[in-house]
Amino acid sequence: MKVKRPQLTFLKKLFLVDLIKGLFLTFSYQRPSLNYTEQYPKVRPKIAERFRGAPRLNNDPENGETLCIACNLCALACPEHCIEVGWERDSAGKKVLTTYIFDISRCMFCGLCEDACPTPCLELTQDFELSMYGRRDMKWDRQKLEEGNQPVVYTR
Amino acid sequence: MEFAIDYVLIPFIKILVVFLVVSGVVAYLTLAERKVAAFIQVRLGPMRVGPYGLLQPIADGLKLMLKEDIVPSQADKWIFTLAPIITLIPAFIVLAVIPFGPTINILGRPVSLYITDLNIGVLYVLSISSVGILGIILGGWASNSKYPLLGALRSAAQMVSYEVALGFSIMGVLMLAGSLSLVKIVEAQKDAGYWYVFQQPVAFLLFFVCALAETNRAPFDLPEAESELVAGFHTEYSGFRFSLFFLAEYAGMIVASCMAVTLFWGGWLRPFPNVETFLGIPLHFLDLIPPVLWFAAKVVVFLYTYLWFRWTWPRYRYDQLMKVGWQWLLPIAMANVIVTAILVLVLKG
Amino acid sequence: MGPQHPSTHGVLQVKLKLDGERVIDARCVIGYLHRGVEKLAEAQTYAQYVPTLDRMDYIAAVSNCLGYCEAVEKLLGVTAPPRAQYIRVIMTELNRISSHLLWLGTHAIDLGAVTVFLYCFREREEILKIFENYCGARLTTHMFRIGGTQYEIYEGFQDQVRTFIKGFPQKVDEYETLLTENRIWIGRTRGVGVISGKDAIDLGVTGPSLRGSGVQWDLRKAKPYAVYADFEFDIPVGGVGDTYDRYMVRLEEMRQSTRIVAQAVEKIPAGPLMAKMSKIIKPPVGDVYHSIEAPKGELGYYIVSDGSTQAYRTRVRPPSFVNLQALRKMVAGHMVADVVAIIGTLDIVLGEIDR
Repeated sequence: MKVKRPQLTFLKKLFLVDLIKGLFLTFSYQRPSLNYTEQYPKVRPKIAERFRGAPRLNNDPENGETLCIACNLCALACPEHCIEVGWERDSAGKKVLTTYIFDISRCMFCGLCEDACPTPCLELTQDFELSMYGRRDMKWDRQKLEEGNQPVVYTR
Repeated sequence: MEFAIDYVLIPFIKILVVFLVVSGVVAYLTLAERKVAAFIQVRLGPMRVGPYGLLQPIADGLKLMLKEDIVPSQADKWIFTLAPIITLIPAFIVLAVIPFGPTINILGRPVSLYITDLNIGVLYVLSISSVGILGIILGGWASNSKYPLLGALRSAAQMVSYEVALGFSIMGVLMLAGSLSLVKIVEAQKDAGYWYVFQQPVAFLLFFVCALAETNRAPFDLPEAESELVAGFHTEYSGFRFSLFFLAEYAGMIVASCMAVTLFWGGWLRPFPNVETFLGIPLHFLDLIPPVLWFAAKVVVFLYTYLWFRWTWPRYRYDQLMKVGWQWLLPIAMANVIVTAILVLVLKG
Repeated sequence: MGPQHPSTHGVLQVKLKLDGERVIDARCVIGYLHRGVEKLAEAQTYAQYVPTLDRMDYIAAVSNCLGYCEAVEKLLGVTAPPRAQYIRVIMTELNRISSHLLWLGTHAIDLGAVTVFLYCFREREEILKIFENYCGARLTTHMFRIGGTQYEIYEGFQDQVRTFIKGFPQKVDEYETLLTENRIWIGRTRGVGVISGKDAIDLGVTGPSLRGSGVQWDLRKAKPYAVYADFEFDIPVGGVGDTYDRYMVRLEEMRQSTRIVAQAVEKIPAGPLMAKMSKIIKPPVGDVYHSIEAPKGELGYYIVSDGSTQAYRTRVRPPSFVNLQALRKMVAGHMVADVVAIIGTLDIVLGEIDR
């Protein structure tokens, strides 16, 4: 289909119709009720449920033990190789998780680790406020991953 | 003693009042620009400093004053400092002739609500505004850098071109009023019984468009448009000197609005200035509002229109800008003068 | 016009040869954003590489994903199930609207109309909310997987998309009110950056820049992929080949995309989301070239496989890189202020050009 190429008629040009139409449109927006801004730190934003934010290792709600089975699939799936899983075998020969290091400074929050995990253990939460003071703070160990990021709450 | 009060004390107080009020308006005009722009663009504008951002101009002023004073190494230091002052002072000096209201009685003494009534008021305004262009050229030259120089030259050429059409558009009003004094023009509108915009609509539109170009505002703001020359003639300026340029632009806007109101929209007159009734409705209730407030309301409407135009339309390219000024506005202004002259001759004998 | 300039849409350096105010020649210097995206493909497996590609054309990341997933599926010989294909088409068309909205906003703000930028971003925000609800990210979405899609549509998806589509054509009309008949806009864009259809084809220009010059070529109709053959839509084509025509073409494309989404969202079939294939992707030895109609032009992927889990060579044919060649022909004879308009109308994104 051919796109339009409107030609302004002489009368429209004389009476500045095109310019005035634009003016009316912008004038009609002059009310605060049409405002689209969220005043961020005061008003918390609405985050989707599936948002891929900071990672978290979930524990079993009944006995508080970790759900991780140390299968290492998340580390293999990660494109940036930012997960390091450490395990040892217990008396029955089953794998038990010892250390888990997740480097969020290299993470691109793609969600492949979450997809790869066979248990509901590794989960990308809705936490996006991840500023830290140093690179060291961005290598999260198992304890930080289980507790989640606890930022300092400012009241003002 | 009478001499001292009439010719020294009262003018001094008037100058002080006008200066303080206009400085305050200029400062809050910067906030109004941001808020109006925000509302048009479905957002909120400054909200953090003070309730609803009302203390923002104070924060801006403090910031600009406390900034580091940078002068480019190859720049001409004295002219670099002088240029913004040369741009700012004419904008404030012009306010000396603008009539804010009629002569009223304060404490038993007749006080005229304008600083002075120069009998060549219009000529004074036009010539002093032209001095402002010098400041821009000096600013661009003294910066010793290619972008400011180009921006200054373009800005100066644009302002000079639109001055001509501006002068022509005022001539119709002068013919109708018969005087160059701004106070007499307002009183002539009162005698005629209606504002001159109803007799000279084309001249008013021309005047406003030329005023937009004079103050370097959209759609004629290519010389300072960011997308092309970074910031035009004030690229190298920062801190207090930049704030002087910035204030000069807004003061120029206010002066242009005041002139438009005085020349075309009846100054401090109410609608239907000398008329008792309109279609049988008595109009005395309009007298309840003091004339200064009528003047202020009209100026506010014009300032809003300045902001409205900036945030609605795109900007002209430089050659199109010059074409509009010379090929369109000047012939229309000249034709307006001729038609007005003929009609004045025919209708007034 | 150096790499740090408010209007070069990224880090692009254009060396202009001027005669007073007229441009005689223009040479582009690129590479400021080179990140070695193609080299990374040699170290990552096929599935791991998909999120890296989002960072290429970061404005319209869904198209990158779609092109690569379809290319690998072609190499493997699998087809995604119909439900996944429909979801892919809906998301890709929303992505096209979002990319054109950003283009319109930045183009308008380069030429001085600031308000259009904010209005376009308000609409884009709605689309990004849909993306966030669906896959969890707004910009670098990583929506599709090789063989289908990972995410099931969420509850309220169809209602949210329908609400968006109902309100969107009026918004496009608002942009038209502000720009299309505006004499300042017409003065800035008509006759600026003209390129004939023949020159465009010779230079390899694709996408709306090609269609603005009168050539009717759209990969969605010429070589249909995904399920585009099931939908009814038109291809807008310009007449003269100047900036104004390209602006009208993209505006009309937004309306046609709305049409496609409106048709697709009504008849999403039931079924599985992923095709039946092995977990480890090891395509047979061979190579494949597959291209799709990204919002900016023809986005192509050439993948050479040597039988292992990592590709031997992945080459991306970015549309902006090839379109940028037309800049030299388009700016000749214009003024410096027009260069800004012409760079804007080509709709380039440096992430794609430099990779």
